[in-house]
Amino acid sequence: MKKSIEQTLRESIARQKMISEDQITLDSSLEELGITSLDSISLVFDIEDKYGIEVPNEKLKQLRTVRDIVEGVDQLLAERQP
Amino acid sequence: MKPVAITGMGCVSALGIGVESTWEALRQGRTGIAPLVGFEESGLKVTTAAQVPGYVPEEHFAPSQLGLLDRHSQFALLAAREALTDAGLDPAQQASLAAVIGTGCGGKETDELTYQKLYKEEKHRVHPFTIPRGMPSAASSQISMDLGIRGPSFTISSACSSTNHAIAQAVLMIRAGLVDAAIAGGTDAPFTYGLLKSWEALRVLSPETCRPFSRDRKGLVLGEGAGMFLLESLDHANRRGAHIHCLIRGIGMSADAAHITDPSSEGAARAMQAALQDAGCQPEEIGYVNAHGTGTQLNDPSETQAIRSVFGSHADRLLVSSTKSMHGHALGAAGALELVATVRSLQERLVPPTANFTEPGEGCDLDYVPNEAVPLDYSFAMSNSFAFGGLNAVVVVQRAG
Repeated sequence: MKKSIEQTLRESIARQKMISEDQITLDSSLEELGITSLDSISLVFDIEDKYGIEVPNEKLKQLRTVRDIVEGVDQLLAERQP
Repeated sequence: MKPVAITGMGCVSALGIGVESTWEALRQGRTGIAPLVGFEESGLKVTTAAQVPGYVPEEHFAPSQLGLLDRHSQFALLAAREALTDAGLDPAQQASLAAVIGTGCGGKETDELTYQKLYKEEKHRVHPFTIPRGMPSAASSQISMDLGIRGPSFTISSACSSTNHAIAQAVLMIRAGLVDAAIAGGTDAPFTYGLLKSWEALRVLSPETCRPFSRDRKGLVLGEGAGMFLLESLDHANRRGAHIHCLIRGIGMSADAAHITDPSSEGAARAMQAALQDAGCQPEEIGYVNAHGTGTQLNDPSETQAIRSVFGSHADRLLVSSTKSMHGHALGAAGALELVATVRSLQERLVPPTANFTEPGEGCDLDYVPNEAVPLDYSFAMSNSFAFGGLNAVVVVQRAG
């Protein structure tokens, strides 16, 4: 699942920031990628929409890297499983 | 009053992208009104529209920018970029500009897509860009950001008079010395299902084309687009050796204080008189009136009566045309497309016709320049905008040099 979240996210970032997917790694910081607060809200929205989850506001504020988002989403999905 | 120079123009309309494609169609009397596209399965009664033909947003904007651009902001940006390029303003001077942008509808495309998701598709979340993309001031902000404009920037909304009120506000700021130059104009993109249904409900939409001032006119045809102008104090324009398209000599504004949809010829006449007075112009000096000319039953005789009351016997020598017969009624952008028509008309000494004209309607007894352009011997022209709710704004323009 993590792999698929990561791929979705990399595609979204690449599209939104007009950069190559190769430039985006798990450890890339959102700041380095030029992702503003509004961008990250929009990226998370795409993922929320795809996986049917909702990232709480306080979690959103803690996101610093691509890995943070992937792991956060994975955790939310795991919590949702019975 | 000191004249204000128009040194740059840009526009997007049903007649194409760019001032020259729009003017070329206008002078030929070629209409951009065509079958409505994009609502084939919707069950709408309206079948005709003046939509920007072959418009592909991705050809003009990067995906990263497009996400935040409602259709009306896209048109505004295209027209503003063209106007600034045309004006040849030093990029360093762009920062000190003001931006005054008229829109009647604002970001309705964005709002409606959101409501459709919530109420029709019963989704529980909406896109995070909904507010910044759809807010009524979005186009002003996008123009400021895209062009690096840091002076006073805001949106003016007065339905179909939005552009002329925006032009008036920019002229006042320049006259007052608040700024040397401003970008001003209007934009609208009203082709959404909800807006079309709402216009249908008013029973003012034509089931066919738009025939202003004709006996068999059946109503207005909605249009879309934007027009933007770089306005400067004459001193500023001369100092930098700018090419001056035309001069804005007078602005006149009034309100009917009467009915929310029915026009008042008295209110319209007061706006025209105020514009003439502001211009220091005699009625006899005006050669061309670009009419509001919506093609509705109520507007056309009312506007004719207003013109007669302002111009007296000179009304019989006036050339009066409604270019809405070609670019449609672009609402908040109407005044902008019509100012492009008026300026190019003065420059080319040629009055664009009222297209689709058959025979004069009752109470419509002026020279409406039916179907073919005619020469213009005068150096002053007037452009009328009379909005629903009785908000009127008129601009008087003079040929430069």
